[in-house]
Amino acid sequence: MTGPRLPTSSVLMTPPLLAILAFGLAPLTIVVVWSFWSWDPLTYWIKPDLSLAGYAAILEAGRWTVIVSTLVKALGTALLCLLIAYPTAYAVHFLAGRRLSIILLALITIPFFTSYLIRSFSWRLVLGRTGVLNTWLQDWGITHAPLEWLLFSNFAVVVGLVASYLPFATFPLLLSMRRVDPTFLAAAQDLGAGFWKSLTSILLPLTMSGIFAGFLFVFVMVVGSSTEVQMLGGAGASIVSVMINDVMRVANYPLAFAISTIVLVVIFGLVLIGNRIFGLASLFEDQSQ
Amino acid sequence: MMIHEGLANRILLWAITIAGLIVIYAPPLYLLAVSFNPALQPGLPRLSDLSLTWYAALPKERALVGALQQSLIIATVTAVMATGMSLLAALAYFELRAQRTAWFLTVILPMFVPGVIQGLALSAVFTRSGIKASSLTVIAGHLLWAMPFAFIVILTSFAAVRRSYLVAAADLGATRWRQFVDITLPLIRPGLVSAFIFSFLLSLNEFTRAFYLAGRQNTLPVVLFGKMNSGASPVIYAMSGAIFLASVACVALIAIRSIWPGAGKRSPR
Repeated sequence: MTGPRLPTSSVLMTPPLLAILAFGLAPLTIVVVWSFWSWDPLTYWIKPDLSLAGYAAILEAGRWTVIVSTLVKALGTALLCLLIAYPTAYAVHFLAGRRLSIILLALITIPFFTSYLIRSFSWRLVLGRTGVLNTWLQDWGITHAPLEWLLFSNFAVVVGLVASYLPFATFPLLLSMRRVDPTFLAAAQDLGAGFWKSLTSILLPLTMSGIFAGFLFVFVMVVGSSTEVQMLGGAGASIVSVMINDVMRVANYPLAFAISTIVLVVIFGLVLIGNRIFGLASLFEDQSQ
Repeated sequence: MMIHEGLANRILLWAITIAGLIVIYAPPLYLLAVSFNPALQPGLPRLSDLSLTWYAALPKERALVGALQQSLIIATVTAVMATGMSLLAALAYFELRAQRTAWFLTVILPMFVPGVIQGLALSAVFTRSGIKASSLTVIAGHLLWAMPFAFIVILTSFAAVRRSYLVAAADLGATRWRQFVDITLPLIRPGLVSAFIFSFLLSLNEFTRAFYLAGRQNTLPVVLFGKMNSGASPVIYAMSGAIFLASVACVALIAIRSIWPGAGKRSPR
């Protein structure tokens, strides 16, 4: 047998692994290491002297509350997304025919690959003082003056976040529903279970991994989001990523990276725990075999 | 189907599904409609007023055109690299046994790193190594953003490669390289095309990482962001509308290919 040979797994792995190490692991290492360095507010220089000042500064100037409010926003958005995504996944998998389900699947896929910036920005046209919603509300006589809290508010931010990250909940739910053996549902039906009974006692437990994955993906995406707050948030509105950006205006790397380290610990912790309990990887992997 | 939801429940399920789609699509589609309105004030154009005024004005916006060119170059290089690397990663994945899940997580995890943190940290690495910000530094950031998506798409496309095909080829004396070229590659080609298009779009539309990593020439989303916050002009609507439409068309193309079999082979399910 002559001719080229397919390299072994370790050779195949090398290029992607090098990219991940150089552009992924190296920056994250710098994040953790520099978060323990010290920063001189007079010269804006950072020095490799071990210091916990970065972490201490998180407790100042209300930065701690931004972290908490980010987690609350992430929790709320993730729950809202699940409430919309579960019926959507159900409709795509159980109700729609083949053609319709592919069309719906495409509609759910498209948002991943369109601009989050443009989609957030477009909400300004809908929620603004002279936006669509305010115009309608006044035309129909529901309100007499434009509602000010629609745009540049927490309301607008949460609406924007749900619109941005909803597909991140729908997808894992769909994958988990595909793995449900339909005979279980048929059996429940034969035994006299109605729709809600089958849903709560069969489908929900069997799709628990999808529910958790969907929650986790949205949660993690919101914790890392910045565009929605920058486009739709009110004056002084913040979220962790925006706060990191603000801190970097004075090149305070230790503080920026201390905040980043905490965020990364929360995110990776959740992903790894999720993988341990629910086997997140298998949700995607089984599709390939 | 075998479950009887009842009419009321069906209506409820569809209503929520449609509401979700409206939340996702109504605002950008409205923006698209507004971009065809020749008036300065944003609003729905009357059918008789539809005009391409603002699109015609786009080529005169030198900053936008330059940024678009830069973004297209970066997106193309990112897509080529992400697709190639993800193919290697997927091949390695199927060679692995015990460490499969670990390898899967290694490739997927960068997707969860917030853009601000990755962009900022990567720019720190480059500054420290004496590497100047340029299109290459943006590509480095975008590569890790696009690879997890490309990897999942390619992994899924491997479902078309039945183990028995490879075993049969091996029995007939094909080396593993020939099996790859003659069997695996043709079967996963649709997946590779999708991975390429998805990576291209992810890079084209990526804002946060590019914000920190771009050199003198900013990418389109970074320039758009600046213009959106300094008094939106209708030209911004036109540029945003055009990019949104192009992105939707690309994904729709992939979907259409799978609705009408014959245009592309369906994977057996």
